[in-house]
Amino acid sequence: MDILTQWLGWLPNLAPGLLISLQLTGLALLFGFPLGLLLAVMAAAKFAPLQWISFLVVEIGRGLPALVLLYLLYFSLPDAGVTLTSLTTAIIALSWNTGAYASEYFRAGLAAVPLGQKEAALTSGLRGWTGFRIVILPQALRISTPPLAGLAVLVFQGSALAFVIAVPELMSKGFEIASITFEYLSVYLLTAVIYGSITLVFLALVRVLEQRLGRHLQRN
Amino acid sequence: MGLSFGTKAPPTALSGEVVVSGLGKSYGTSRVLSDVDLVMNEGEVVSVIGPSGAGKSTFLRCLNYLETPTEGTIAIGGARVVAGGKRPDKSSIDHLRRVTGMVFQSFNLFPHLTVMENITLPQRNVLGASKEQAQEVAERLLKRVGLPDKAKAYPARLSGGQQQRIAIARALALSPKVMLFDEPTSALDPEIGLEVLAVMRDLADEGMTMLVVTHEMHFARDVSDRIMVMGNGGVLEIGPSQQVMSEPQNERTRQFLKAVLDR
Repeated sequence: MDILTQWLGWLPNLAPGLLISLQLTGLALLFGFPLGLLLAVMAAAKFAPLQWISFLVVEIGRGLPALVLLYLLYFSLPDAGVTLTSLTTAIIALSWNTGAYASEYFRAGLAAVPLGQKEAALTSGLRGWTGFRIVILPQALRISTPPLAGLAVLVFQGSALAFVIAVPELMSKGFEIASITFEYLSVYLLTAVIYGSITLVFLALVRVLEQRLGRHLQRN
Repeated sequence: MGLSFGTKAPPTALSGEVVVSGLGKSYGTSRVLSDVDLVMNEGEVVSVIGPSGAGKSTFLRCLNYLETPTEGTIAIGGARVVAGGKRPDKSSIDHLRRVTGMVFQSFNLFPHLTVMENITLPQRNVLGASKEQAQEVAERLLKRVGLPDKAKAYPARLSGGQQQRIAIARALALSPKVMLFDEPTSALDPEIGLEVLAVMRDLADEGMTMLVVTHEMHFARDVSDRIMVMGNGGVLEIGPSQQVMSEPQNERTRQFLKAVLDR
């Protein structure tokens, strides 16, 4: 049988899985990136307990493999009396993981904004949150965008791990088809093509965004 | 009240736009600034000169609390801060920054904002100006620094001299009582520096009170009313510009001026 016809036949079964994967990724980024920014700001806070909390959350989120984090939450939360769906558990685990890594990229971006910018903000009366929002953050975000885009891709690919706690995402749908048809190689090749093409399209979009964000730095 | 002022009592009656008394700064045991006094009248221009490491920039940056002085008092245009002891409250520091405008050696324009936004955003956030009011002020100031056609440009598109003139306009937009200049032409080639100096000269002629840390000896002599020479964290001498340049009293000043003028 022609492989393309075979793949076309499987697509309707894989599509709901892909939607779950995208949903899981989208939510992990939606919660993870702001969490990362918050953790980065907390790490730079003068109030020491905020630094400790940030340190703890970041080091656990980065220190544990996403797979281990998934299992730990999946098996410990019910014992603690919290019953969540496997999708929600996966969202929490991946958001934590994402936030921990993102915080380092935000931290690098914030640190890369020259000190003179903060001083100019202060002497222009833009202090505290206002100065941060108007002067520092936009410059830091431009610097952090490329590594954050790379992280977003890793999160999308990492969303496949949710397979192990029975989230019906793309990989688990593929596994279902494979275990019925025994066409393991063909099915996983198809999922590879899907993951790969979405990633490449996303990265192309990010490149356009980067150019727009850097427009003001062009000299002519 | 438990606040100590060292051996000196702070000045009680404030005459003059700028009254700095006994200003000092130490990092642990190392003393980078000690016992600096300066009284400036409204409209006066004072140049601060001296060798590298003399404490000129530190002194200037203490005046708006970019550096935290450890002793002394600063009174500028109605704002007053006593250093040392506990850190002064935020509102006094805000007030100090509100009445001073700062121009940096490296311009420090906000690179992600247009020239217009650089000049209007502080007004809108600090003065609560409307967009129209702020733009009106910005357009007037851009004309004043000779760059009326650059409103829509981003800083990266401008030459260093143009950026510094925009930075001056940005500082003026908040109507400061005193302008502080921290080596405003040191990052520019000598020719480009002239266009910045010309703007500063106009500003002085219009009666702005200015304190200028500089290595531009002609500006110091011709534009400023007085010259303050610093060395080793303190004031070596201060006096009328012509006098300090032609008959310096201090041996270290003579040595410095000879080195600078004989180049």
